Amino acid sequence: MVTEMTSLERVLAMLNRKPVDRVPVITGSTMVKEYIEKSGGVWPDYHSNAEMMVDVAGLMHTDAGIDNVVMPFGMFIESLALGLEVKMGKIDIQPSVRSFFKKPEEVNYDNFLEDKFVKNTINSIKLAKEKYPDAAVTAFLVAPVTLAGDLMGAENLSVLSIKCLQKEKQMEKMKEWVAVALEINKIYAEACAEAGADLLYYSDASASPNLVMPDFYYEIGVSAEKEIGDFCHKLGCLWQLHICGDTTPIIEGMASTGADCLSVEQAVKMEEVTKIAGDVPVVGNVTPLLMVEGTEEQIITETRMALDGGAKASMLGCGTPPHSTSDRLKTWVKAAADWSVENL
Amino acid sequence: MDNLPEEVQELMEALDEAAEDEDEDLVEELAQKLLDTGVDMKPVALEKLALLVMDGEEEMSVGWTRAALKFGLDPFEILLKGLAEGMGLIGKKYENGEAFVPQLLIASTAMYSGMEIIAPFMKQDENSCTKPATVVIGTVEGDVHDIGKSLVKTLLSANGFNCVDLGNDVPSTQFIEAAKENRATAVSMSTLMTTTMAEMPKVVKMLENEGLRDKVMVMVGGAPITTQYAAEIGADVSPHDAASAATWLKGAIFDFPSETERWG
Ligand code: B12
Ligand SMILES: [Zn+2]
Repeated sequence: MVTEMTSLERVLAMLNRKPVDRVPVITGSTMVKEYIEKSGGVWPDYHSNAEMMVDVAGLMHTDAGIDNVVMPFGMFIESLALGLEVKMGKIDIQPSVRSFFKKPEEVNYDNFLEDKFVKNTINSIKLAKEKYPDAAVTAFLVAPVTLAGDLMGAENLSVLSIKCLQKEKQMEKMKEWVAVALEINKIYAEACAEAGADLLYYSDASASPNLVMPDFYYEIGVSAEKEIGDFCHKLGCLWQLHICGDTTPIIEGMASTGADCLSVEQAVKMEEVTKIAGDVPVVGNVTPLLMVEGTEEQIITETRMALDGGAKASMLGCGTPPHSTSDRLKTWVKAAADWSVENL
Repeated sequence: MDNLPEEVQELMEALDEAAEDEDEDLVEELAQKLLDTGVDMKPVALEKLALLVMDGEEEMSVGWTRAALKFGLDPFEILLKGLAEGMGLIGKKYENGEAFVPQLLIASTAMYSGMEIIAPFMKQDENSCTKPATVVIGTVEGDVHDIGKSLVKTLLSANGFNCVDLGNDVPSTQFIEAAKENRATAVSMSTLMTTTMAEMPKVVKMLENEGLRDKVMVMVGGAPITTQYAAEIGADVSPHDAASAATWLKGAIFDFPSETERWG
């Protein structure tokens, strides 16, 4: 039995494949309406006001009992800072990217770190480190394939993901987009690491077999993710890789990126993917919607099922839905703790 | 196609290449030569077109559509038994987990580019053909995900439906207005986010309030939408993907009152 750990120690131990006192419970996006209202956050200010952002994210840790504190609240910061059009959503709808570039040369990232939303991420990380030194302060970042998709448009990414496998010229084009995305990824990662982030959480939503060819993922996605991942390690940061949808066909590739842990959705069978991933920790995969309308029994069952399947931390299959309720989040955290008592 | 005379096969390969290079004149010339062989090229061209669309071969689909016209095929036949047939083939594969979304997308591009070639010839036939049923289609307000919605549209078009595409982030009132304006047969709503699912019952309620609910069928879909949810909100159906949406609607219109019966 391991002596009681802080949240930060627990998450780091899991990522470093060491014993834990109980399985960590971690999360991706955390724009939860109830917590925004409870902490007096105001839309859309909480997207660019570090105090507000950290207060909302902090409640996930202090109130719900989740082991990490995650910011920012959506996958739009990079695009916004590059000058793409972003619709800010609502208090319960995350912002979305509404335009894209025609050519990689159009992307200008000289002043990336000057953008107010990027700055806010950096300030929020610093503030969170100050306020919650015991939690794993996590930056929620857009991974290279998805960022390339935001730059060229998601549908174009999908189409190019098959064309690049057929024609050398299209492959060159694809590589150019991904190279630009990686440059931006590195600038942002370095700033987050300097600000003191414990963990960089990369969502590569659009690298999913639901949107692009699995062969493309193996040919381009894996090496791109590995490149940014190695860069994170050089900066002294651990990193986590999430890909949406049914990732069973690509989990082997995900495991070869060097990610410190892999996060998967409820569409995959935990038992199956933990076998393929070998010693790379896999986390997940409780249906996010259960945090909105799940019964206690459903939440407990799914949490245990994932842990029984070999998950090294409990996480929702994807982002925390804005309409999640604090009582359900607590039920989930308790379910993971109870499982740990019985099984660790 | 394999048992065609060698001479024909060679000409067809040459036509493939000419089409790939977008050499219109050469395509015409080779099509003429194929006609001159005396072989009935009509069924060959239809089969060829279906396979090209299935494989997402845009340029070749265009070239072979031109050739098909030269062979004297009726534009509607080219559409339904060639281009749309190919879209259906890849749709089936996708349904069975044998194909991926990018394949659907390039197939849809191939189909549409072929359709552009025959469009000018189809106009003249408009009166002689029964008017296709209209589907008002869009992604609900608050949601920008529209790739799936566009695929539904593609497969509906491939099955002869006329689609009025409202795009994404569509306010509920716009669905209602478009349905009225176009005397729609069906309204098709998509969403990929749990947060925007509630827009769907809103539209169904508005249809009811305006006395329009019996005039249109309502299809809802997208990753989080289940059959059970569709039933709960009073929609008619939620086929699980774009291909089955088209199949379902094609069947359902048989039992549905005609446009004049519904809209007067
Ligand atoms: C591409 C993508 C995007 C692109 C969309 C580009 C575009 N033009 O559509 C971009 C980058 C813009 C984007 C933005 C966002 N996204 Co997004 N995105 C995806 C992704 C990777 C793929 C979706 C997709 O296109 N799939 C392919 C199509 C073909 O599938 P489909 O739409 O499901 O359609 C099929 C069926 O559902 C069906 N169908 C569809 N409509 C209909 C209708 C009828 C009537 C019928 C019968 C059938 C049917 O037929 C289709 C083909 O068979 C998914 C994750 C994933 N891997 O699935 C996330 C995902 C959908 N996105 C998500 C989120 C949260 C967002 C954002 C809020 C981003 C963020 N986290 O900050 C914003 C949305 C903001 C907004 N207000 O809308 C979530 C949704 C979570 C949820 N369940 O609520 C997902 C699941 C990922 C995630 N978990 O974060 N996204
Ligand atoms: Zn996801």
